Amino acid sequence: MGKRRASGGLESEVLATLWAAGKPLTAGEVVNVLGGDLAYTTVQTILTRLHGKGAVDREQAGRAHAYTPVLDEAGLAAHRMRAMLDRGGNHAAVLSRFLGTLTAEEGSTLARLLASQHHTPPEEA
Amino acid sequence: MLSVYLPLLFSALFGVAAPTLGRRLPPAAATWLLSVGGLLAAAGSAASFALLGFTLVGQAPLLAARGHWSDTALRHADPVWPPIAAAAIAALLVLAARFALAAGRRLSALRAAYQLAAVLPAAGGELAVIDHPGLHAYAVPGRPGRIVVTATLLRTLNAAERRAVLAHERAHLTHRHHLHHTIVHLAAAANPLLRLLPAAVALSTERWADEDAALACRRDTVAAALTTTGAGTRTFATPAVVLAAAATDVAVRIHALRSPAPRLTPWRVTLLLGLLVATVLAVAEAAHDTEQLFEFAQYAYRIGHR
Repeated sequence: MGKRRASGGLESEVLATLWAAGKPLTAGEVVNVLGGDLAYTTVQTILTRLHGKGAVDREQAGRAHAYTPVLDEAGLAAHRMRAMLDRGGNHAAVLSRFLGTLTAEEGSTLARLLASQHHTPPEEA
Repeated sequence: MLSVYLPLLFSALFGVAAPTLGRRLPPAAATWLLSVGGLLAAAGSAASFALLGFTLVGQAPLLAARGHWSDTALRHADPVWPPIAAAAIAALLVLAARFALAAGRRLSALRAAYQLAAVLPAAGGELAVIDHPGLHAYAVPGRPGRIVVTATLLRTLNAAERRAVLAHERAHLTHRHHLHHTIVHLAAAANPLLRLLPAAVALSTERWADEDAALACRRDTVAAALTTTGAGTRTFATPAVVLAAAATDVAVRIHALRSPAPRLTPWRVTLLLGLLVATVLAVAEAAHDTEQLFEFAQYAYRIGHR
């Protein structure tokens, strides 16, 4: 333990620690789990940043904050849909059948999203 | 014209020797040797087929007239038996088609990975935790690349093992292992004699990531994390280029982690580099021989048209 730690990796380690805990953790508790030569203020800074990005929720626990990771439902659903699409088959056919399952409201949302995407085209033509 | 067959021989030797020797080399060196070497070997064998075939194509009167060489002289001087030259042309066409097909598939797999990296939950930075009962961790190449770990795996591992898994996946992304995979995949499509290379690179890149993880924590911690992730089977679809932490040769990798980090053995590197240099030299020699053959035919053409 206490060997070289990748600079960008600490944020992931803190987040992974919160996921592993299964209960809200304070910055001090995260430091205890990660051990080694970590400074409390470093972990506190990372937790604040994660909270700012919406990756973690926080609640008051005595005088400190306790943090829990947030499951990004929309991101996960998008990930599953992407994975299903990549599972094979004819993408155009799958997408067109999928469109058939959408309500009018969902359809217009999709049309609006696609229209706004065309103003800032992604790398995919 | 014996030199024209030598690239085929050397690439075949490389295709057999490189996976075996690569296992005994430090994984980073092994990966580079296998991928760049595979590319050279594939290019060498394609050049071989092209030169063999061209001796026959050059005998076509129309082409001969354009190039101002004598097709008759070429037919008489040509040391390549026409059926062999014809077989070389057929092989070249088939392999080119295989290469194009593999390149297309690979490209769409890479594109799928990039799209996946873009839609993964982004709030946690490089790490995306997914709610899945399996014990999975994998790296998704993209801009930026992402690390995906199941919440179940994070709860199963201790803090040091979690660090090992994250360091392992990060190594895949920072060293762009997917590009090495792509190169040997295409090399094997272009030359079936290199078909052992993709599995060899899959192993060497996993070992590379293991060794990188062993810089961040103890070797036996990496082995312990590998034992846990290796126990999980993959139950959901991911694009072909996704680098799963524990998909390959878990037993071999754990054995490597239980031993000290491998050192560069000069004779193994020299042997592999020697085969590659020999391939390149043989192609150059064969090209030179072919050039001389056509120069002779051009000389005969000038005599005949005087």
